[in-house]
Amino acid sequence: MSRPQAPACIEDPPPGTLPRLARAQLHEVHASAADWASALAFAFGMVEADRARPVLLLRPRRKGAGFVPCGEGLRALGVDPARLVIVDARNDAALLRAGLDAARSSGPAAVLMESWGAMREYDLVASRRLILAAEGSLIPVVILRGDAEPRSSAAHTRWTVSSTPSTPLEMRAPGAATLLVELVRRRGGPAGQRWRLEWNEDHGGFRELPLDTRPSTEERGPPLPGTVVPLSAVRTRAPLRRTA
Amino acid sequence: MRQGLSSGMTLADARARSPDLATAPHDPVADARVLEQLAGAMIAFTPLVALDAPDGLLLDVTGCAHLFGGEEALVRRVVKEVGPTTRHALAPHSAAARALARFGGKDDVRTLPVAALELDEGALSGLRRAGLETLGDLAARPMAGLAARFGELAVSRLRAILGETGSPVIPVRLTEPIRLETRFPEPLGRTDDALEVVEDMLTQAARTMGQRQLGGRRWAVTLHRSDNQRRRLVVETGLAVRDPAAVMRLLRERIDTLSDPLDPGFGFDAITLAVLHADHLPSRQILLESGKEENADNVSALVDQLSVRLGEDSVRRLIPRDRHLPEKAQALVPALRLRGAAWPKPEDMPPRPLLLLDPPQPVEVIAGVPDSPPQRFRWKGRLHDVILAEGPERIGAEWWLKRGGHMPGAAGETRDYYRIEDGAGRRYWIFRHGLFSEKPDPRWYLHGLFP
Repeated sequence: MSRPQAPACIEDPPPGTLPRLARAQLHEVHASAADWASALAFAFGMVEADRARPVLLLRPRRKGAGFVPCGEGLRALGVDPARLVIVDARNDAALLRAGLDAARSSGPAAVLMESWGAMREYDLVASRRLILAAEGSLIPVVILRGDAEPRSSAAHTRWTVSSTPSTPLEMRAPGAATLLVELVRRRGGPAGQRWRLEWNEDHGGFRELPLDTRPSTEERGPPLPGTVVPLSAVRTRAPLRRTA
Repeated sequence: MRQGLSSGMTLADARARSPDLATAPHDPVADARVLEQLAGAMIAFTPLVALDAPDGLLLDVTGCAHLFGGEEALVRRVVKEVGPTTRHALAPHSAAARALARFGGKDDVRTLPVAALELDEGALSGLRRAGLETLGDLAARPMAGLAARFGELAVSRLRAILGETGSPVIPVRLTEPIRLETRFPEPLGRTDDALEVVEDMLTQAARTMGQRQLGGRRWAVTLHRSDNQRRRLVVETGLAVRDPAAVMRLLRERIDTLSDPLDPGFGFDAITLAVLHADHLPSRQILLESGKEENADNVSALVDQLSVRLGEDSVRRLIPRDRHLPEKAQALVPALRLRGAAWPKPEDMPPRPLLLLDPPQPVEVIAGVPDSPPQRFRWKGRLHDVILAEGPERIGAEWWLKRGGHMPGAAGETRDYYRIEDGAGRRYWIFRHGLFSEKPDPRWYLHGLFP
């Protein structure tokens, strides 16, 4: 008699489903500065968090113009702006320390940390500490890394998020937020999948769209009338010479 | 009074008589608090201070005047302390003093008008009709007749003012602040030992505060060195606490952030702990089922800790403001100071980006006139083609904030906001600062990013 198959664990979602940013785990989200709104929207929308408790957002000091979360924009993603506590840290070391304290406390629903560039202090040891803190308090910790090269860490999942063209609404208006996310790495599970997600206001969550049916250029239409014809259309064999 | 103003007048009448009148809304709660604070200050002159609501204080200075060099000097110092707009009077009896101060007599109570009895209008007009204008007139009449005609109250008050019956002063009993001090027979050499002593004192203070149902919001620990140098550590919390562990945590944070570290020198002689600000904090009830306490929004301890470490301006929350310029429609305020800000339920509002750029970044835009959306824009050196666009959402300038802003053309620039998507699929919030009819060459700015 053949041995009966070990039953698949009921809790494990079938492979290929989009995993949420689960509790008691550390997640890394990589994005470029231009896609920062998408990265934040992904973090807010996909994190597994209690809807009533506050969310901590920790940010480092950035030179020059900065981003400020907009309360009405947060509400459009289903997050009550009154829940947000924004912490500004002087430098990366202070940011990690504050994030660790936040992860250790039991009050927040989730801890989100923003960082830019190569964070030298965020090494294997730092990520292990964050994981221990998250496991102790059972809250998800998400570190958003902007313009950064992925570095080996103990995080449970690593994602890359970017914006992608949306399905237009009527009158050629931009559609709902649409993201392209890739699960680059997952501890103890398959990785490498990509999803195209669209924010669905009625359900207050991200909806998976088929990857291949991106709105083509024909569907989105040509650029708005009145633009200058792209240079490539008039390019002759010889490269254009700059005058003066 | 000189300008014809009198109490009970309407604001419009008062403003008509005196156009430059400075006004403020009546805040009886704040007034009461100020009066209590003044009463506390008056303790310097006498231990018997009574409130004479809503705007007076009674000080029993029997036996205190000689300490200040006589009654005149005492009165001068009190007036200096309280402020120039006080009316004061000294008298052997408190009711007399009160009447003299309020109704402005000379030293003799008999010259006070009958209004000093503070009776109702009917009785007062009755007195006037009877030809009794001052208290001296009343005092000359037999009391029984006055009582029959004008009531017992008039007679008892008259008697009190004249000094025939007593008018005791009920002093304000100010709550003792919580202050503990520990002195050491020999100087304490190590900072860690000192912190242990502080923790013990916090436990003691917690017991006292528990009995009084108080929690501290501002704590000060002063370490006195044997060479007379003192080091003071102050921590603040957002919510009242009395848990010694919580306050110790904050004190250790404060010590870590000190620019020059705590140096015992030759040792600490004494340590004092004072609760500078206390609020009512009822005893917590432990839920029978779970055994744990509820912590619905319990980031207050974390907020306290991070505020001590990073500064209270580094830990902030968003509050809505009633302005319609997007960058002004919200504000970031220190979380330590905020009690709670509810964001109003969303009405149908045009979409807002998730991130606002602060300040808005200038971009070069090619767009058709007069209000077509941008067709191309250049930001940070990169050229973007606009594929989809929505708008304009017209947001006018806040003309009511500009001097002369109600005149046509002086209001400031109207903004036309567009939500656009470029070829790469990124969505932006761009506005044109000024209509083409307002300015010949309006600039464009990038104000936000949509997800």
